[in-house]
Amino acid sequence: MSAAVAISPWQRLWGAYVRGSARHPALASLVPFVPVIVLWAAVARSGIFPPVFFPGPVEVLRKFDTLMANGILPAYLEDSVVRLAAGTATGLALGIPLGLLIGMSDRAHRALWPALLFFQAIGDIAWLPILLIWFGFGLTTMIFVIVYTVLFPVVLNTVLGVRSVPLELHRAALSLGASKARVVWEVVLPGALPNIMTGLRNGLGFGWRALIAAEIIVGTSGIGFLMFDARRAGSVVEIMLGMIVLGVLWYIVDGWVLAPIERATGERWGLVTR
Amino acid sequence: MKSLTITHLQKTYFDPFAARQVTAIRDISLTVEAGDFVSVVGPSGCGKTTMLNLIAGFLPPTGGEIRVDGRAVSGPGPDRGVVFQSFALFPWRTVLDNVAFGPKMRGVPKARRHEIAQEYLALAGLAHAAERYPNELSGGMQQRVGVVRALANEPDVLLMDEPFASVDAQTRMTLQEELTRIWAQRRSTVLFITHDVNEAVFLSNRVVVLSHGSVLDDIAIDLPRPRSWDALIEDAAFKTLAARVLQQVRAA
Amino acid sequence: MRAGRIASAAAFTLPLLALLVLWEVVVRAFDVSPRVFPAIEPVVKAGIDSIADGSLIRHIGASLVRIALGTSIGILVAVPLGIAMGTNRAVSAFFTPLLRFFSVLAGIAWIPIATLWFGYGFGAITFVIFNAVFFVVAYNTLLGVTGIAMPLRHAALSLGATRRQLLTEVLLPGALPNIVTGIRTGLGFAWRGLIAAEMIATDVGLGYMLFVARDFYRTEVIVLGMIVIGALWLLIDRLLLAPLERATIERWGLVRAA
Repeated sequence: MSAAVAISPWQRLWGAYVRGSARHPALASLVPFVPVIVLWAAVARSGIFPPVFFPGPVEVLRKFDTLMANGILPAYLEDSVVRLAAGTATGLALGIPLGLLIGMSDRAHRALWPALLFFQAIGDIAWLPILLIWFGFGLTTMIFVIVYTVLFPVVLNTVLGVRSVPLELHRAALSLGASKARVVWEVVLPGALPNIMTGLRNGLGFGWRALIAAEIIVGTSGIGFLMFDARRAGSVVEIMLGMIVLGVLWYIVDGWVLAPIERATGERWGLVTR
Repeated sequence: MKSLTITHLQKTYFDPFAARQVTAIRDISLTVEAGDFVSVVGPSGCGKTTMLNLIAGFLPPTGGEIRVDGRAVSGPGPDRGVVFQSFALFPWRTVLDNVAFGPKMRGVPKARRHEIAQEYLALAGLAHAAERYPNELSGGMQQRVGVVRALANEPDVLLMDEPFASVDAQTRMTLQEELTRIWAQRRSTVLFITHDVNEAVFLSNRVVVLSHGSVLDDIAIDLPRPRSWDALIEDAAFKTLAARVLQQVRAA
Repeated sequence: MRAGRIASAAAFTLPLLALLVLWEVVVRAFDVSPRVFPAIEPVVKAGIDSIADGSLIRHIGASLVRIALGTSIGILVAVPLGIAMGTNRAVSAFFTPLLRFFSVLAGIAWIPIATLWFGYGFGAITFVIFNAVFFVVAYNTLLGVTGIAMPLRHAALSLGATRRQLLTEVLLPGALPNIVTGIRTGLGFAWRGLIAAEMIATDVGLGYMLFVARDFYRTEVIVLGMIVIGALWLLIDRLLLAPLERATIERWGLVRAA
């Protein structure tokens, strides 16, 4: 007979947490931050660092309220997000066809791959000085940087995706009467889609960071600019606020928009080449 | 090789979802004499893998005792060698280094442990694969490495967790025959977990049937050795025993 | 073997040479103003000049030292931490979201706060690089350790491994592919963070060289700098990262060769 083993209160709590986070996955992502915030508050309060250098969560929250109320934060957020969206859309529109081409044509691959790698190696940031000369401190410069950054992960992952479509699928389609063009549309594209999604997800991540860099160095508005401007004024509170907003925003977009899409395509179809 | 005795083994664990204690092993008492080959069969969920994990020391029991050669054991250790269903070969080490792993842990010097490893690989007919990496081998070969890796460490008891389940049917039969040959040579003490009744009867001296976390039946297999599939597949005694075990498993 | 290597090197450089020719042709054909985009000759001349007066060497040296230091420290701290976090299920579940969050704040986002805390110069830049590398490597190490299948750990234990041996013989090699991937990603972030930080927070380094040239409209120096940056990263990739991946990941069959 099984001995009656008592359930301790800690086990009950753990059980509640496991059940809760299964029903609300957000819980598992958020709970770990609670001790961090508590620790942050404790360190800030203790005065190890001067409060000017190391504000606590309460001050940051207050500043958040202020900037939301006077409309600055929403406006900056909108600016940043719009730039990112425009840059990403352009990057996708350029990157996917390019990736398809390089993935499917050996000639194109041989001709373009080295240049691709080289330009990727230069990196987006290094383009800023010459972009500033060409386009000045404006939207074009920032969009260019984002497009540039997004392009490479999208192209690379598209190529990977195209190449991961098994030859037999091509052959099956052809022997079922599909033209070469139809094969691209009906077989290659869907087959490469999971990897393209991964490329998009990576590209967006890089693009986001590139945007912030551009705004820090160049900007006139946006979250990155918020941090840069605060730095000039010597105000750590806004810098911290900016960083948190960045992290949270990306967390939300990646976790609740991009990852589900990636899962819905890649995992649903049992594909995903890593 | 030594004997293995488990007395009133018990295992319950806390299921956070159901918020209650679940009984995996109700009460198992079982002895494997030194040099004996015992198989444990049972329907899915009867607790046979949990039992092996408890004996191997990967999980702590909630009650009962496990003794090897009369000595109480807890936690994993080289006295109870394990062969895993998924082979569990270290992908970053060559076949030779995998087999030499146990001796390396004990501090055997390099030359000597390579010697030992070569010996055991030869036993399994794998001397030529010594410098390959696991991912270069077929499933059957990988599991052979898994078996000799455990043996090379000279454990008191050998625990085998459905070792041939991941291998194709024909390779499985070959491996089973090889296992009986190796066992006959070394008279190891083996506890063999499987869901395949025919395999259990083919390999063992005794078949223990588990059901819902306790022992249902303990059937002696007195077929003569050496055993081969060609001979036994039509043998009346084999078929009777297999049918009897299957009946018990089904009733469980 | 040698012939193969030479052939692939040629295959790589040929398209780039073609690009160079294209560059020169376009600049001449469209009579592009040197302020907008230089021809090849001024760039080469700028290169020779800056090597001669030692400035290019100084900038490259400064950038490389910063990235080497920041990256090394980052890896040395992140890997043990990641392994420690990964061995305990509860601890790893706890730290994974945190590390993922902070990985997002790749180097660049730390620049404003770094310059406020450390002032301009070496400290701030190294801090930025450290952050770029640390979070990503720690996160990937964590992922790598938790991804090691239980049977492997059990196998090691039942073969007599002690805790320390488990660490060096199973956890570290098992997590190595992820660690290497983390280093590659982290280094990428670090390199970009370095250039960005050097643009606004110091007075020596490749980023600085680029940014200051912009002030004087010396596009030939900018283009020179961009080429140097690209070439350096390619060297780091080919001479450091790719061999590392070849020796570990691909050899062990854990990841298909690219």
